[in-house]
Amino acid sequence: MSESNDDIDQMFSTLLGEMDLLTQSLGVDTLPPPDPKPPGAEFNYSVGFKDLNESLNALEDQDLDALMADLVADISEAEQRTIQAQKEFSQNQNHSASLEDSNCRGAASVGFGADVTAVSISQYEDELPPPPADPLLDLPPPPPPPKPLSKEEEEAQAKADKIKLALEKLKEAKVKKLVVKVHMNDNSTKSLMVDERQLARDVLDNLFEKTHCDCNVDWCLYEIYPELQIERFFEDHENVVEVLSDWTRDTENKVLFLEKEEKYAVFKNPQNFYLDNKGMKEGKKTTEKMNAKTKESLLEESFCGTSIIVPELEGALYLKEDGKKTWKRRYFLLRASGIYYVPKGKTKTSRDLACFIQFENVNIYYGVQCKMKYKAPTDHCFVLKHPQIQKESQYIKYLCCDDARTLNQWVMGIRIAKYGKTLYDNYQRAVARAGLASRWTNLGTVNTATPAQPSTGLKASNTQSNGQIPQAVPRVSTVLQEAQRQAETSKEKPAHGPPDPGAPRTQPLPKASPPPPPARRSSEPRGPATPVPPPPPPKAAPSPGDLLPPPPLEDLPPPPPPPPPEDEVEEDEALPPPPPEFADPPPDFVPPPPLPPFAAPRAPPAAAKRSPAPARRSECPGPAAAEQDFMSDLMKALQKKRGHLS
Amino acid sequence: MAGMKTATGDYIDSSWELRVFVGEEDPEAQSVTLRVTGESHIGGVLLKIVEEINRKQDWSDHAIWWEQKRQWLLQTHWTLDKYGILADARLFFGPQHRPVTLRLPNRRALRLRASFSKPLFKAVADVCRLLSIRHPEELSLLRDPEKKEKKKKEKEPEEEVFDLTKVVLAGGVAPVLFRGMPAHFSDSAHTEACFHMLSRPQPPPDPGLLQRLPRPGSLADKTQLHSRWLDSSRCLMQQGIKAGDTLWLRFKYYSFFDLDPKADQVRLMQLYEQARWDLLLEEIDCTEAEMMMFAALQYHINKLSQSGEAGEVASTDPGLDDLDAALNNLEVKLEGSAPTDVLDSLTTIPELKDHLRIFRPRKLTLKGYRQHWVVFKETTLSYYKSQDEAPGDPIQQLNLKGCEVAPDVNVSSQKFCIKLLVPSPEGMSEIYLRCQDEQQYAQWMAGCRLASKGRTMADSSYASEVQAILAFLSLQQAGGGGSGNHTQGPEASAEGLNPYGLVAPRFQRKFKAKQLTPRILEAHQNVAQLSLTEALLRFIQAWQSLPDFGISYFMVRFKGSKKDEILGIANNRLIRIDLAVGDVVKTWRFSNMRQWNVNWDIRQVAIEFDEHINVAFSCVSASCRIVHEYIGGYIFLSTRERAHGEEQNEDLFLQLTGGHEAF
Repeated sequence: MSESNDDIDQMFSTLLGEMDLLTQSLGVDTLPPPDPKPPGAEFNYSVGFKDLNESLNALEDQDLDALMADLVADISEAEQRTIQAQKEFSQNQNHSASLEDSNCRGAASVGFGADVTAVSISQYEDELPPPPADPLLDLPPPPPPPKPLSKEEEEAQAKADKIKLALEKLKEAKVKKLVVKVHMNDNSTKSLMVDERQLARDVLDNLFEKTHCDCNVDWCLYEIYPELQIERFFEDHENVVEVLSDWTRDTENKVLFLEKEEKYAVFKNPQNFYLDNKGMKEGKKTTEKMNAKTKESLLEESFCGTSIIVPELEGALYLKEDGKKTWKRRYFLLRASGIYYVPKGKTKTSRDLACFIQFENVNIYYGVQCKMKYKAPTDHCFVLKHPQIQKESQYIKYLCCDDARTLNQWVMGIRIAKYGKTLYDNYQRAVARAGLASRWTNLGTVNTATPAQPSTGLKASNTQSNGQIPQAVPRVSTVLQEAQRQAETSKEKPAHGPPDPGAPRTQPLPKASPPPPPARRSSEPRGPATPVPPPPPPKAAPSPGDLLPPPPLEDLPPPPPPPPPEDEVEEDEALPPPPPEFADPPPDFVPPPPLPPFAAPRAPPAAAKRSPAPARRSECPGPAAAEQDFMSDLMKALQKKRGHLS
Repeated sequence: MAGMKTATGDYIDSSWELRVFVGEEDPEAQSVTLRVTGESHIGGVLLKIVEEINRKQDWSDHAIWWEQKRQWLLQTHWTLDKYGILADARLFFGPQHRPVTLRLPNRRALRLRASFSKPLFKAVADVCRLLSIRHPEELSLLRDPEKKEKKKKEKEPEEEVFDLTKVVLAGGVAPVLFRGMPAHFSDSAHTEACFHMLSRPQPPPDPGLLQRLPRPGSLADKTQLHSRWLDSSRCLMQQGIKAGDTLWLRFKYYSFFDLDPKADQVRLMQLYEQARWDLLLEEIDCTEAEMMMFAALQYHINKLSQSGEAGEVASTDPGLDDLDAALNNLEVKLEGSAPTDVLDSLTTIPELKDHLRIFRPRKLTLKGYRQHWVVFKETTLSYYKSQDEAPGDPIQQLNLKGCEVAPDVNVSSQKFCIKLLVPSPEGMSEIYLRCQDEQQYAQWMAGCRLASKGRTMADSSYASEVQAILAFLSLQQAGGGGSGNHTQGPEASAEGLNPYGLVAPRFQRKFKAKQLTPRILEAHQNVAQLSLTEALLRFIQAWQSLPDFGISYFMVRFKGSKKDEILGIANNRLIRIDLAVGDVVKTWRFSNMRQWNVNWDIRQVAIEFDEHINVAFSCVSASCRIVHEYIGGYIFLSTRERAHGEEQNEDLFLQLTGGHEAF
């Protein structure tokens, strides 16, 4: 036993050392001024941002506000967790440790790009989760728990638990966050915090809740590169932070939130991609319409087998020659392994094909106005480039199609080849999401049973045992089907039922009802009940009197709500009432520590009860304290900024 | 009973003498003569035969085969009259299960007892159960092609024939796993070896052999294979197969249902082998880039199986407790973390520092390689003018995350270069690192590869990566020596692998071995991290993704057409292909099909699709029965459902694929 115990001891103290390092590093966040060259900065997020003030100054007011809102949401989340943790570790606690801890907080730096604001809040996140556990961890040589020595295993177990806890914390500590400014289709913007674990899907869900749109499957995050004049959708499974960290600091790139029916076109009308080739060109419109069941079986065949089927696609495209504005026509073929072309004088048999590009290291983009910029033969261009390339380069491949239909087929085909089944999974998730939303909307009115399956022609063939074809049975769950149908119908016809189709916002997402604060509030009533004596307030806690009544701003000292700028419309919605975003972080990026049940994002607002903010603050200064420092920094910056403006 | 006679010896009933040969259709066979009447039941006749033979033996598998009618008399309660048997019938009393030699998808020979009396569909199912291959409906048997040249006998005697004829499976019992294999394989060392042959990848074939084996040169050649399929609804005996004959076992229908690496060890492996041979023998075409990927996967699979990872079942040890898992997590996190992460200071991340020669190709410069002091730490490569300047600013610093790494190696000329294509916002920057020897190259190369995936040299796979690179280099050395390394038997080690054994022969002509190896090596880095099962699945998936995958070709003559054309049958469609050019003329999907009929007299298949599209053709290269069975088989396979598990609806299959006998 001694050996293993020693080992664990060893490990544990290493971890402790590690924790110390972490906490110390908080104060040291004023790292050397950023490398003017961005590549370095892309990868290590704690370097590369100028100091806090500068970056905060550059933030737009409303960005700051939104950011604040998000942060506050985080605080509340952390508080909930704290309470939970406190319950769990209701043993005696050593306050000095938490104090020490809080000393180092708040040094999180904020950085930004033109549109992406990067906040390296790694440490800030770290402190949030379970501070009450800290004391235990921070005691330098962990005294073996005062238990009878008889049970060594127990002891080891206790240590193991602690290590686990520490590991959890470490994991948390590494979470990187970005504040992303998303451009809406009405030219307004929204800023939201995206952490590095979030996928585009999570961000979309987030945006759905903020915008109250109809949540249909066509909504997507869309990145545009004004400089290169290219754009593309984020695939739902893509990690947003990862994509954005390829952008340079001075980038003009933007993230948009909009509807693009191309996103999942293949799943709505698979026949346009899988059946329309070879022989029957545009003339035949019969393939356009296809009954739902046939579509479904086509999809199943293409995406649900052991390997997916990439649409057969081939034809002459124009290829922009490297570094020139000339375009050469070549015969290209799409295969699962990449794009190929037929070399001069060769046939298009497999063995003669030359590989043009493989998809591992490139993303596919739509080219915008390439006719003008690159003298392309048409404006229907697609572009393949390594995601890290941000400037014009010979390594970016431009291809030009004759018409929009071909373009869409190629782009979709390439996406299918590149992402495979993931694309279908994404779609199903999106459909489920949309179905959920529309179900809320219609409150069951549409929930009629699935209509009888349209019988296929196959049935007609009869008896002749020779030739009879047994009916294939659909495998997609009816829920999905229904959801899909709803999604489609809701797109085709204007939404029916109570909600006004014109205003997507009115779609009653249950928790969006204006004033009652969302789920996080539910933690408050429990606050006072916490049996644990509160740790002493940290150094810079603003007196409760300073706090403003409106909840999101309650942590901020004086400033009045900012003067509404041009895009006031969405300000309205984003600011004063505790915006829905408060509630949304938990579902997706809450890390391991188990959430108390009451933190469930969908908790009905009715259950929430308002309690005076100041009271709450004093309860758990531990976690909030960190916020505080950071917040006050933010606040100062905000004030400064305002002063600047006025 | 039959055979009552008077005192004078005259038979007074209507009995007559029936002669039955004992044994398998051998004219010299011993025979017994029985007295029977038309009323005698087959069961009684069997009893009499056994009495007559008067030998102690297990006769339970024996039954009577009627030679003229090519029929088994299996209904023991039927009378001779009902069967229509008269005294002139040539009957053979023999075993229903007889040994045959199966040529498996992996091209190894296996002797086992197959049922000669059940419909082939059922017989194959039994064979597959013995081999523990699920979903036997996807497989079938082909006749052995007639050998034209029997002069070359060099290869024949060498071959090891595995024997499972002694193994009898109890019917209806689910196979039990014992020591990681179905229990009936664990009886003896020999059967165990059999299982390993079935469940482990076979070493790459000798390139010379690959050259000699017949390959289809045209679409017309590809139709040949499909003329040899046996009829699923009739038994082997009826199709003229004799005991001891060689048959091919192959996946016939390219619709692999519910592939599960855990349950399908043998199936997966045989599928891989079939795919591999399809590619090697150019039954299916692929591009050069794809071939390299397939070669790399083969190499990888082969290497893994040799290093004993075949039994990787053991690696999933549930004993890993939470703490371990948590610590593992931490480890992973540390390895995968970005630079400057505080956590990284915990573990010392290995660095590489050395003098390397660096070359940066630029326009209008003729500078060659220059010596630099290069430091490789985490995922970042920095180089300095000299070692003394190392503490200062490097000439350039490159983060290799997301970069492309390509080898530029020629062992015989001692050239060990690493080509890096490092992405940056401005584009890609190209840089070459030249190492002195294999060892240095392997270390740096492994580091670069890991870095390109965002991992550091602290990653647990680093050491194995270095080893893999070294192994591959030595492969090149061996392969680069003589073009055909005939001295190596099939058991050649990984180090002695000849790259020619991994690619189709046309690449043997196109590339020298030393050109081929780097290409394979390059492709290998994308798959080097896969486990054996993953690699197998990847191989099969890539095979399935080929545009020509799963198309069985037949030469047909369409109604109203004057020339032969090719009909391709895939799992979801029929394809009309121009014989001369190879272009797809028309595609019909099964989902639009209403019915099909076969006119057995004029050997014509007629198919009706939606919208009153009618297609009719007669079959040229194969019997229309085979075409009919293919279509029916695919329709049958499309009705399978997960819920039904493994039991298949034999009747439905026979209904869809059989037919002409019944009517």
